[in-house]
Amino acid sequence: MSFKHFFSFFPFLKIIRKYPESGIFLSWILVIIFFSFLSERFLTLENFASILTITAELGIVAIGVAFLMIAGEFDLSVGSVYAVAPMVLATLWEQGIDPFLGLILSLLISSSIGFINGYITLKTDIPSFLTTLGTMMFFRGVLLATTGGFPIYAKGTHLLFLLLNSRLFKDFRSSAIWLVIIAIIFTLILTKTRYGNWVFAVGGNKEAARAVGIPVKKVKLVNFVISGLLAGLAGIISFSRFKIVDPTLGEGLELEAIAAAVIGGCLLSGGHGSIVGTFVGTLLTASINTGLVLIGAPPYWYRAFIGLILVIATIINMLILKKVVLK
Amino acid sequence: MVKNVNKRLLSYLILVFAAVLLLTPLVTYSQEEPEYTFYYISHGGPADPWWGPVIRATQDAAKKLGVKVIFLGPEKYSIEKLVNFVESAIDANPDGIIVTITNYKALDEPLRRAIEKGIPVIAVNVPDPRPPNERIPYLGYVGNDEYMAGYKLAERSQKEFEPNKPKRVVVAIHKPGHVGLELRAKGVKDFYEPLGVPVDKLDITPDPTKATEILRSYLKAHPDTELIITLGPLGAHPALKVLEEMNLFGKVKLATHDVDEVILEAIKEGKMICAISQQPYMQGYIPVVWMYLHVKYGFIPPEITRTGPAVIDISNIHLIEKQIATTGGA
Repeated sequence: MSFKHFFSFFPFLKIIRKYPESGIFLSWILVIIFFSFLSERFLTLENFASILTITAELGIVAIGVAFLMIAGEFDLSVGSVYAVAPMVLATLWEQGIDPFLGLILSLLISSSIGFINGYITLKTDIPSFLTTLGTMMFFRGVLLATTGGFPIYAKGTHLLFLLLNSRLFKDFRSSAIWLVIIAIIFTLILTKTRYGNWVFAVGGNKEAARAVGIPVKKVKLVNFVISGLLAGLAGIISFSRFKIVDPTLGEGLELEAIAAAVIGGCLLSGGHGSIVGTFVGTLLTASINTGLVLIGAPPYWYRAFIGLILVIATIINMLILKKVVLK
Repeated sequence: MVKNVNKRLLSYLILVFAAVLLLTPLVTYSQEEPEYTFYYISHGGPADPWWGPVIRATQDAAKKLGVKVIFLGPEKYSIEKLVNFVESAIDANPDGIIVTITNYKALDEPLRRAIEKGIPVIAVNVPDPRPPNERIPYLGYVGNDEYMAGYKLAERSQKEFEPNKPKRVVVAIHKPGHVGLELRAKGVKDFYEPLGVPVDKLDITPDPTKATEILRSYLKAHPDTELIITLGPLGAHPALKVLEEMNLFGKVKLATHDVDEVILEAIKEGKMICAISQQPYMQGYIPVVWMYLHVKYGFIPPEITRTGPAVIDISNIHLIEKQIATTGGA
C-alpha cells in the first residue's frame, strides 16, 4: 500500500492539505492522551498553565525564528539577544531610567542586532548560519566581559513588569497572553497579507521571487529585525518575572527555538512553515517537559525524548509535504 | 534619546576595553624584584565570576609575601588550553606551579616532567582522583570536596527536621552530567537514602522559567516533598520563586550550594535553611603560602587542605558577608 493510498483512508486528508499544521496538532493531542492516562494531574488547568508558562518565552523566540526560517534564513543569535535585552533594561533601570523607556531602548538594540545580522548576511552573501553564529558568540562575550560574569539583580517592581509577566488567575500568567497575541499577529501577516506571500516566495525560490518584482533582500532584512526584536522581548518577559539576568541566560535557546519551528512544520531550507505549527511545536515540547515529571519518569530522559520527536516529526512533515501538499 | 543610546553604547565599548586593559596587568602583575615566581594555572578564567576572588587572592598573597604569581586561565573552560598553559609555565622554569588537575590523563606527563625538573607542584580546586601510588606526585591539594559539600548540605538540613525526617527530598540539578554537580547530588542521596528517605534527582535546566515550572510540576506530583536541595544559584532562585508562588514557605524547606545576594537575603528572612560556600578566596591564597613556605624554608604542606564545604546559616551569616565585602566573593 503506497503512502498516498494510506492517507486517502483518512477523512481529514483535505484538512491536512489545507492546514499543514494539523499533523503537529494531532501529535500534540496524542502526547496529551498518553500523559493523561499515566497521570491524573496532567489534564488539569494548573498543568496547562505550567505548559503555557514554559511555552511563552520560548514560543515568542520561536515565532521570530520560524518567520525568518520561512524566508530561508537562520538566526542563531537569538539566545544571546534574549540575554542582552534584559541586561540593557536592568542596567538602565539601575540608573533610574523609567522601564518603559528602557523597554523601547533595549528593543531598539535587539532589533539593531537583527539588522546587523541581516545587513552582513545580505551584503556579503555569507550564510546566515555563520553570521549569526558569529554575533551569537560576540554578544555573549560582550555580556560576559561587561558583567564580569556576574548576574545582575534588580529590586522592586514596576507596572511594565506586571503587564509583561504576572500571575492573572490560578497559575496563568500574562506572558502567555503576549505569546497568543504575537502568534495571532504573525499568523495573520503570514497568511493574509501580501507581505506574507513575499516571505514564502523569498524562502521558496529567490530567483523566481526577484523575477516577479519582490524586494528579496528587503523582506529578509525585515525578518532578521523581527527575529531580533522578538528574542529581545522574550528575554525582557523572562526578566519581568525573575528580576535577574544571568550572563548565561538563553544559552542553547537558539537550538530549542529551531527545533520547535521544525517540529511545527517549518522547512530548514525555507519556503514552507507556519506560525501556528511552531506555536503547537513549542506546546508539544513543554507538555513533554511537565508530563515526564508528573508521571514520575526519570526526567533525565527529557532531552532524549525531544531528540526522538524532532526526528519523527520531521519525517512525518516531509512525507505530508511530499505526498499531500505538493502532490 | 538617540544621544542617550550612543552614550550607552559608547560606555559599553569603553567597559569592554577597560576590562581588557585591567586584566592585562592583573595577569602580569609584578612586585619590584620578586623573591620567587610562581605560576597559578586553572581551567577557569576571568570570565567566570567564581574565579574572581581566587585571582584576587593569588595577587594579595603575592604582595604580602613579596613573590610574583602569574595567573593563567582560559576565557572559557578548556582542557587543551590548560595543558598549553602548563607547558609554557614549565618552559619558563618557575619556582613553583599551582594547578587544577582538571584532567589527570592530559596533565600526567607534563606535570611529572616538571617535578623531575625540580619544579614543585601543588594541586588546587580539583585533585588527582587516583590512589596515592598512581597519583601525580604533587606536594599537596588545596580545595573543596564536592561530595562532602552535598553530604554536609543534607546533614545541616536534617537538623531542621529532628527528631523526624523529611518524607521526600528532591535535588534540583541545573546541569545534569556536570561532574561537580552530580557529586554534590550524590552526597545528598548518600546521606538521606540510608535513613529511608526517598531522594529524586530532577533535571530543571538552567533556564529560570523552565526550572520554575518543572519544580512546580514536581511538587504537584509529589505533594509529600518536604525538602528541596539546589546545587547553585541557577537552581536556588527558581526554587525560591516556586515556594513563594505556591505559598509553601515553611511547609517545604530549601537549602542550596553556593552563595549570592539573593540567597543570603533568603537565609536572613528564614526562607532558606542554609547555603554551602567553598570559600574560593582561600583556594587562591593558601596554595601560594604553602608554596612559599616550601620553597623558602622546606616545609612540606599537608596532603589535603580543605577550603570547604563551609555551611552558612543564620548563625554565621555575618562571616560570609564580611568575606564578600573584603574579597569580592564567597
